[in-house]
Parts: sequence; structure tokens; C-alpha cells
Amino acid sequence: MEHVLEVRGLVHRYGDLTALAGVDLTVKAGECVALLGPNGAGKTTLVRNVIGLIEGNSDLIEVAGGNPRSAETRRRLGVVQQAVGFPRSLTVGEIVGGAAARRGCPPEAAKQAIAEMGLTGLEKRRAAKLSGGQQQRLQLAMGLVADPVLLVLDEPTEGLDVEARRRFWNTIRRRLDNGAGVLITTHLVDEAAAVADRVVVVDRGRVVAEGTPDELRRTLPDRRIEVRTKVPVSVIRALDSVHSVELRDGRTVIAATDSEQVVSTLLDLDPEANDLTVATASLEEVLVALTNHEEVAA
Amino acid sequence: MNTRIFRTEVRDELLGIVREPTALFFSVLMPVAFFALFATMFGDEGDGFGVGSLATYGAFGVLAVVLVNPGVGLADARERGWLRVKRADGTPLGVTLSAKVTAALPYAIVTLAGITLVARLTSGPLDVLQVLRVSGVLVLGALPFSLFSLAVGARFSPSAAISVLNAMLIPSVILSGLWFPLEMLPTWLGEVAVYLPPYHLAQLALAQVEGGAVWGHVAYLVATTIVGAIAAALAYRSAEV
Repeated sequence: MEHVLEVRGLVHRYGDLTALAGVDLTVKAGECVALLGPNGAGKTTLVRNVIGLIEGNSDLIEVAGGNPRSAETRRRLGVVQQAVGFPRSLTVGEIVGGAAARRGCPPEAAKQAIAEMGLTGLEKRRAAKLSGGQQQRLQLAMGLVADPVLLVLDEPTEGLDVEARRRFWNTIRRRLDNGAGVLITTHLVDEAAAVADRVVVVDRGRVVAEGTPDELRRTLPDRRIEVRTKVPVSVIRALDSVHSVELRDGRTVIAATDSEQVVSTLLDLDPEANDLTVATASLEEVLVALTNHEEVAA
Repeated sequence: MNTRIFRTEVRDELLGIVREPTALFFSVLMPVAFFALFATMFGDEGDGFGVGSLATYGAFGVLAVVLVNPGVGLADARERGWLRVKRADGTPLGVTLSAKVTAALPYAIVTLAGITLVARLTSGPLDVLQVLRVSGVLVLGALPFSLFSLAVGARFSPSAAISVLNAMLIPSVILSGLWFPLEMLPTWLGEVAVYLPPYHLAQLALAQVEGGAVWGHVAYLVATTIVGAIAAALAYRSAEV
């Protein structure tokens, strides 16, 4: 499949601080890639390089075969950025219409994008008076106006309610089906896991892991076993493949590599053990393990 | 393509003026009120407040608009993140900047119209051709100042940009003799005027009424335009958006 984004060896420094230390990243046509990592990992710097706002040093950075610093290439992108305040004086219709004009699209494209993001009827309302969620949808409508080959979405669901999020993801799926690539950063890891074909984890300016959400989950060998049992913690801790044991709200919580063996032994030792659950690591736990931080955010 | 983008950008800027008229009120009212005050106080002295005064006070009025408004507008767009959106949209640098400058011109024209009206009321009939020539020179000659305004707007926050631009405006118009005749200033201060661009703008406008050499003033304003364009481009390119 054709790459709509290809980044190789991207290095970006702010003075003495190295924000990106040789990042490789690709997005194919029709593929959704989620960019995850803790605060300060370098995600926004990476996104800003991709959309041509800043320029680091790289062996290659191509968007749809073009340089993102060129205006022509940027017009083929759909972008949602964080912390954008709209002009006080302009209406929804004028803002999306302006985005269409800047990309050389007919006014009808603006109407379609407004309808696609559920903003029909609000065309004459001042953008600055919209709710936070409506403003986010407005920005996405601006991004969709030119039928972009790559959507770059930095925290796009921030401030959206459940219905708006559902509409948003439906829109993204339609665009993916039509062959657009999507690069998305979000702190909603579960949402990313549900939609992304591939997850790229960035930490301290480097890509530390990459794969499908399932592949990443499998990189953390531990399973989490929770059970009500009379078997002492010291006995469980002595079992093979058990990494940690703790008591939480009357239940024993065990991290173990070979969950089947541990459960079997436990039931032998305590046939009355109950309330048993075994879970694979969540993507969030994987991220915490990979980035070695308590808090995981986009 | 760029023509359509330019039209859209100018439209957006003009809509901002029409829908948020507070800035228009102060930008236009202050120079006109100043002119009316001085015309009332000193109108009976010397040659009165005819077209000649339109050249000097008009230069102040136009500069008050063109030196302040584009820069503050740019700083505001930058702080909101709206400039970031424009850049990511592929809006060319020249289009963004020239739209802001173009949108300041209606302010300047309205200011000049207000000053002309006061001059007409206080001094009697004016030579229409002279008024048009003076106004044309002032509007066109003010363009280099808007470039400095954009350079400031690309570097400072909106509130800081207002302070910096007024700090540039007020001393330079006083030292250029736009409020008081240079003869009223200490000699050494009066000698500073020939190095200041507003002085050359006012003298070029005055030459449309009184005659006299123009090319020296034109050359000075052209040089100011080149320096202003470089300053604006460098400031915008390195601006944090």
C-alpha cells in the first residue's frame, strides 16, 4: 500500500533540548496510526514537523510525496490542532468557506464538510460562541474540506461528548475506507486501541514500540489474576512465574507470566477459591511499562 | 489561487472591523479629535488649519491606524493559534501579511475623511485636488509603516504589541513635527526629525500643497519599505505560532 506519510531519521532540537532523536514513522493510505506517549515525549513536535509548521533535520519527510513545508503539500492535509481560538468576528460558514478557498475547493465542499460534522444550522453563528465540542468539530470540518490524503489529528476528541465522539469516529472510518491515512494523538488509549491499525509509542524523543494494539499488549507477558482465596500471600509468591502479589479490597492480585499454571495450583491448594478473573495487560499498562511513567497521556 | 486566498483573507479582516467596531472607533476618533482640538485652539493663528495641516495631522492619523492595527491584529491571531491554522492550511506568508495591511487602509481613509471634514469646518473651502493628492500620498506612503507593525506583531503578545507600537508612534510623530511645528521644539530635538520616516511622509504630503522637492522623501520612504519588509518577513518566519 502507498505511503501517505514517510518520516525517516527526524531529529528536532530546541536549543540544547533534543525533542526528537531520530524518529521513523510511516502511515499508509487507508491506515490509522495512533501516536501515544507521556507528556513531553515529543508527539506535538513530531506532529508539527509533519504538518510543516516547524522543520527539524531528517533523512526524509514526505507527505503524499511532497515536502510538508510547501504550501501545495499542506493543502492536501486535514489538520486538527490543539488550543486553537477562532476569530471573534467570523461565523462557522465563513471559517469553513475560508478553509475551502485557501485549498482551492468550491464553496459546496464547505457545505458538505459542515454537514458531515453535524454543524448544519450553525453556519451563521460566530465560531467563538460555539461550545468547546462544537469548535472541535468546526476544526475537523475545516480539515475535511479538501478531501485530504492524510488527516493529522492532535487530540481531536478533546471536549467532545459521547454522541459527538461517535460521529467523529464514524467520519474517520469513512475517510479511512476512502483511502485517507490518519495520524492521531490522543490520551484516550482505549479509543485509540479500538480504531488504530497500528500504535506508535514515543518516549523521550524516540519510538520505543510499534505494532497493532494486540501485538503491543502481548509485549507485556504478565497476566493479572484476581481471586478470593485463603492461600497465604507468601505461598503464592513462592510459585513459579509469579512476579508480584498483593492484597486489594479482600482480593489477592497476582501478576504472573504463566496464568494457567498459577490458577491450577491455587485451585488445588484452595478448592473454595472464588471470584476469579484473569486479564491480559491493558494497552495503558503496556504504555506505562514501556515509558516507565505513572501517568500516560497523549 | 493566491488571488482567491487574498480576497478571502481581506474579507475576513474587513468583517473583523465591521463586526468589532470598537477598534475602529478609537483608531479614527483619536486623531480626528486631536485635529479638532488643535484647530480650535490654534486655528486663528498663521495660515489656519487648511490642507497644509491636513498633511501633518493626516500623517499622524494614518500612522496611528497603519502602525498599530495590523501588528495588534497579527499578535492576536498568533496568540489565539489562528495563525498556526493558516500556516497549516498552506496560506502563503505574503498573502497573510498583505491582507492585514490592505485591511488597515479603510481605517486610514475614514480617518483622513474625518480630518478633512474638520479642516473644512474650521478653515472654509478646501482645494479638492490638493486634498486628494495629499490623501493619496499619505495612504500609499504609510504602507512601509505597516510592515514594522507586522514585525512587532509577529514577536510580541497583543498587549505588549500595543505598548511597543505606541512607544514607536508617539515619540516619532512628535519629533517629526506632526503635532507641533518643529520650530516649537528645542533645536537639537528638531534636528532629529530628518532621520525619522514620519517626517518624510509628512513632507512628501506637504509638497503636494506647497511644492518643493519630493524625490529625497520618496527615496527615504522606499528605503524604509525595504527595511520594513525584511523585518516583517524575518519576524514572521521566526515567530512562534
